[in-house]
Amino acid sequence: MEDIKAYIETGILELYVLGDISQAEKLQVEEMAEKYPEIKAELAEIERSLEAYALENAIEPPVHLRERVLNSLVTSFANDDSFPTKETTEIFYDDRIIKDNVVALSTPKANNFYKYAFAASMLALIASVFGLFSLNNQLKESNEVIASLQTKNTSFANQVNYIENEVDVLRDPEVKVLKLQGLPKAPGAQLTVAWSPKKKKVMINMEDMKLAANDKDHQYQLWAIVDKKPVDLGVFDAAKTDTAGMKQMKSVANAVMFAVTLEKRGGVSSPTMDQMVVATKI
Amino acid sequence: MTKKRKISLTEEELVAALRNREKIAIEALYDMYSSSLLGVISRIVIDEATAEDVLQETFIKIWNSFQSYSSEKGRLFTWMVNIARNLSIDKIRSKDFKNQNKNQELENNVTFIDEQVNTVYKPELMGIKDLVEKLKPEQKVILDLVYFKGYTHVEAAEELGVPLGTIKTRLRMAILQLRKYFN
Repeated sequence: MEDIKAYIETGILELYVLGDISQAEKLQVEEMAEKYPEIKAELAEIERSLEAYALENAIEPPVHLRERVLNSLVTSFANDDSFPTKETTEIFYDDRIIKDNVVALSTPKANNFYKYAFAASMLALIASVFGLFSLNNQLKESNEVIASLQTKNTSFANQVNYIENEVDVLRDPEVKVLKLQGLPKAPGAQLTVAWSPKKKKVMINMEDMKLAANDKDHQYQLWAIVDKKPVDLGVFDAAKTDTAGMKQMKSVANAVMFAVTLEKRGGVSSPTMDQMVVATKI
Repeated sequence: MTKKRKISLTEEELVAALRNREKIAIEALYDMYSSSLLGVISRIVIDEATAEDVLQETFIKIWNSFQSYSSEKGRLFTWMVNIARNLSIDKIRSKDFKNQNKNQELENNVTFIDEQVNTVYKPELMGIKDLVEKLKPEQKVILDLVYFKGYTHVEAAEELGVPLGTIKTRLRMAILQLRKYFN
């Protein structure tokens, strides 16, 4: 007990608190404080009084300094509150490690972002290429459909035109519809001729024509008898052509008879009488 | 922001918060100790702006090396005041600071020298009247040299031309006076 009191009175505890002793003495004081509660209590008293003395001599820092100091701490150790572990404490101990740590944390984040962004844009690119292809195909199909519809439309329009012509001819009260009947050479043959003497217009109906098919060296030739002489009204084929409902022949004003002969292709200047297939008088 | 209420925690709460690296600990630390620490720093580093820099460095060091503080070995303030004192002494011994002082203007020198030899007391640095009367001048000089100015007791003995044993005794008596006064 005497020893402890003497130890306290050397004033070493005061120097300890003031940080004014060697490392060896420091360890000794700490050892003593652990062993003897009196020494520990004495140290606490000295500390408390010096702290109070410092408070008496305190100088209030300017208001702006608070912000500056807090910012410098918060900035240096930003985000640390999301890692309140002992490891983090150690990491933050060394400035150099702090910097390394910040870099290590932020780098993979940035990497991931660009990775995902790249993957997303590749995906978008592939999707749009597919989209473009499928759209292109659809466009092609649509164009084909439109083309075929246009063709059909044209052919319909043509057909309508022919039918209209036909109807016009048949409705015209001036027009005479003549049935040319088969002669002994071709008993079943038949041809309808529409003739408008006023308009000098002659047409043959290809639809209900009943004539033997001609070969490629021969054609049928239509004749009109005018003033007892045969007049050439043009040649035609027995085979139906897709454009034909009514076929317009050469003009004639006053005929007394119509007849058809089978002649060599292109027609002849005067009919071969024994090749006459159909005829009718008016 | 400037009117914000100051944060105050018990020392145990503050130490725990500092260990957990909580943000509130930084504010509480500053609010509770900045003025006391600046009082010590300002005794060593006279220039106000430099003293404020040292205060900032002190808080950074406290925060950075907090795990080296052990509450079993002493009070938090004792540990912090040693950091503040050491950083202050480092500052006035640094080349920058010495150069800066060489460039001081002439008319500032008188007050500067006065402050350096402690012949002029700033009113804000004086303890309350009662306390000053309790502390004998020779006790106060030694206490201030060692506690505030960072002298070792050996340096103080040389400075004052007093035997080492006397310095130690006076230091102890000064602190005993403080204990009586504050308890």
